Amino acid sequence: MIADRSPIVGHAVAAITPLALLIGTYLLFAGHNNPGGGFAAGLVFGAVLILRTIAGVQKPVDAPLLMAAGLIVIAIVTAAPIFWGDYFGDQAVVSAELPILGKIKSGSALPFDIGVTAIVIGLVASLLDGLSLIDADGDLTT
Amino acid sequence: MNALVATVILAPLLAASFGIAVRHKARVRDVLTLTGLASAFVASLGIFAEVYRNGTSVIRVGDWSPELGIVLVADTFAVLMLPVALAIILIVELFAIAQRRTEWGANPELTGPLLGVLTMGVSLAVLTGDLFTLFVAFELILVSSYVLLTHQGQQAQIRSGMTYVVMNLFSSTLFLFGIAFVYSATGTVNMALLAERIPELSDGVRLGIGAWFFVVFGTKAAVFPLFSWLPDSYPTAPTTITAVFAGLLTKIGIYAMIRFHTLTGMDAMGPVLLIIAGATMIVGALGALAQSDVKRILSFHIISQIGYMLMGLGLFSAAGTTGAIVFLIHHMPVKTVLFLVGGLIENDQGTSNLDRNGGLAARRPLIAGLFAVPALSLAGLPPFSGFVAKFSVISAGIAEAATPVVVMALIAGALTLLSMTKIWLGVFWGSKPDKSKPVRVSAANRRLMLGATGLAVGLSLFISFYAGTLVELGERAATELRNSDVYISEVLR
Repeated sequence: MIADRSPIVGHAVAAITPLALLIGTYLLFAGHNNPGGGFAAGLVFGAVLILRTIAGVQKPVDAPLLMAAGLIVIAIVTAAPIFWGDYFGDQAVVSAELPILGKIKSGSALPFDIGVTAIVIGLVASLLDGLSLIDADGDLTT
Repeated sequence: MNALVATVILAPLLAASFGIAVRHKARVRDVLTLTGLASAFVASLGIFAEVYRNGTSVIRVGDWSPELGIVLVADTFAVLMLPVALAIILIVELFAIAQRRTEWGANPELTGPLLGVLTMGVSLAVLTGDLFTLFVAFELILVSSYVLLTHQGQQAQIRSGMTYVVMNLFSSTLFLFGIAFVYSATGTVNMALLAERIPELSDGVRLGIGAWFFVVFGTKAAVFPLFSWLPDSYPTAPTTITAVFAGLLTKIGIYAMIRFHTLTGMDAMGPVLLIIAGATMIVGALGALAQSDVKRILSFHIISQIGYMLMGLGLFSAAGTTGAIVFLIHHMPVKTVLFLVGGLIENDQGTSNLDRNGGLAARRPLIAGLFAVPALSLAGLPPFSGFVAKFSVISAGIAEAATPVVVMALIAGALTLLSMTKIWLGVFWGSKPDKSKPVRVSAANRRLMLGATGLAVGLSLFISFYAGTLVELGERAATELRNSDVYISEVLR
């Protein structure tokens, strides 16, 4: 465990994690009209996962379950418009006037993007798994 | 219609995702994947009925116009292909569940979900109305096939899997380049718009695009001389996997080729296609004769049979295209059954090598029967569907006075019969081999495997029985493909 041996690494990872998660979340929401999106957000979250795993402060996540959950969300969002009589794959857009934030536009693309994010995080986690970086106890192999 | 098409594409995806989520609970997982695949199959029958009555139907995914978005087109050709393909995957999944995880059987934790993804790719590839979605569908199919082919990690699988992956990645790259060329030449990747714009291009550009996509789809379909990856890789995979690959993957390649090259009016490529078709038939049939393993013989037959479909396409006449379509539909279940029987033989003897098999007809007459029907059909004997298929291709060839390729087709037919006889002599007649190490399978599982194979035989007999209807529908599909006006007006409406 690198974090046990070096307090610098331990504190740096602890400090970086929330910032990186914030950036990832920003990308997830920005993606609808600006650069970003579910895939980019998933990669940022995945990078956090890798960093924390290498530092040794992260227990392994259930990668296949994450991917499965993401796929299910995507399939449901894609199929849902049928029940409103639209072509499948259609999207609903909602906009609302909120205090402080101003006018917010979002829609069914958001849960779709969250599904993509989950798949990408699952992919990164299973790459860690596939590279055998994690042993049975959830520790980093050296 | 909208809901049916969504089911065909999304139900296998949902089945795959739930299958991954509960992958360690064998029973729940198997029930979920089977339910997903079965509902996709039922939905495909619904689409078939709808298109049979009302003609071509177009779904605009996300309600975007065809110039901007993805359209899914259910025309007669697509709805002929779809139910047969989905039925085959369903049957193979049933067989895979029964076979369990052995040296010969695929790992069901993987096959269930991955067959789901593969099914989604197949549905998408069959229904799609634009080249880029076709590329995505091919990739869905290929990525799952890479894993299915090599997941047992045996040395032979990794070695031949390497060739398979490299060849397919290469042709996918060419595909992507080709899409870029097409887009820069015409400004669209939508097939209906392409059918309008490609015939207006200058001859050089038009035939360049045709030849480029012939190489792309030809690699997937394993035509001569791009077939080397197939007989090497297919026999090493678990039988169930080979069965679904043999029944579907090369056929999706030839399906895409028939659709693209007829819609865009590549008639001038006919003579080249016929020469390659003749070579493919003969090389495949001769290659099969030289082998001494059931699965290797059958793998070479896939190549030989692709030649017939290519010949039908290469004639570029209504009758020729009809022949190619009928041959395609007949071929899928027949090939799958033969490989499933190969799996039954392996389970019984511990090997599919001809020299180390024998006397199976006396001990297991049912397996012999399950083999005989599709084998005779493949060789083209009446009254089976293979006869109708070969007859329509060859008579179309005679009508176009394409004598050399007709002669080659007849020779290849005789050679096919010869190598089927070879399997029969090696496996079913003769004396029981001294050493055999049968794979232990419980009685219930054995019955389920036999049942799945029986279902596939039933499917091919059903096609034989309704061969007249199939030819009529094939004619309708060929007319729709060749007179692209209907396709164009339905999509762009």
